[in-house]
Amino acid sequence: MSGQARRWEARCPMDEMNEFENKLKQAFLRRPAPPSLKQRILQQRNQRRTEQLHNRTVLWQRLAACFVLAAVIGGGLTWRHIDQQRKGEAARDQVLTALRITNRALNQIQTRLAAHDRDDHE
Amino acid sequence: MTKNFHLRLATLLLIAQFAVRAFAQSAPQLIPPQLEKELSAHASDVTEVTLNKSMLSLATQFMHGKGDDDAATRHLLEGLEGIYVRNYEFDKDGEYSPDQIEKLRQSFMTPEWTPVVHEHERRSGETSDILIKVVNGENRGLFICSAEPREISIVLILGPIRVEDLSKLHGLAGLGALAEFDRDDAPKIKEKDKEKSKAKKDGDQ
Repeated sequence: MSGQARRWEARCPMDEMNEFENKLKQAFLRRPAPPSLKQRILQQRNQRRTEQLHNRTVLWQRLAACFVLAAVIGGGLTWRHIDQQRKGEAARDQVLTALRITNRALNQIQTRLAAHDRDDHE
Repeated sequence: MTKNFHLRLATLLLIAQFAVRAFAQSAPQLIPPQLEKELSAHASDVTEVTLNKSMLSLATQFMHGKGDDDAATRHLLEGLEGIYVRNYEFDKDGEYSPDQIEKLRQSFMTPEWTPVVHEHERRSGETSDILIKVVNGENRGLFICSAEPREISIVLILGPIRVEDLSKLHGLAGLGALAEFDRDDAPKIKEKDKEKSKAKKDGDQ
């Protein structure tokens, strides 16, 4: 190894350190914040809060809509079931009334025919 | 343009006619409307039962009692196309005329309806009629009319009637009598009775 190369090796880490120090100094240098920064940050925070609030409202609205929809469907089905049951019971009663009237009419006819039979025998 | 309009109008009229016919078929006439109006106007108590096929099937679903009668009624109703019943009760005699009953009877005097029982007693004014609709040797309908001076009961049952099921209705024992009426010899006997009684009455007079 030549003497020049040895010198280069010895000098190089120092230069790098200096450069790094300079960069660090620059980075730590106190600079005044731009005048609009605070306003922008507050605006962004407000915007984020509004968005969050909006999203939460939408979520609750959706949940409420789902609940109302489920209630409407459930109510409709229940009403339909009750209505069907009411109609069915009414139809059943009507059938029994019809059969009762039919039964009575046939009994009357039978009684009349039996009376005729008796008249004939006498 | 006018041609098109006329064509549309004709189509609409045709559809309306079909709809009216379909409705008329779904609700058969039990009594001529005018007669029904007259009887209702004079009656003190009117019972009307109109059950078409869908109502009957609905009623069948609600006959879930375990009793024999419920099961028998369910079986009886299966396949029926309709039950139409009118019952008129009057406060006093002479609220309806025998001609009205005759008019009603005449409306069922068609080849498909076979009279099983027909009896008319002039003295008391009582009339009994049972007609059965026979299609291809099967009972497809039943018409009953029982008229007393203060009561008229009219029953029309359409559809295949299993007479043997009627006797299973213990709570409605009178329906079982229909099985007797349905026998072949029954109508003749009833007609003979009627003739005999008529002759007897003529003799008395």
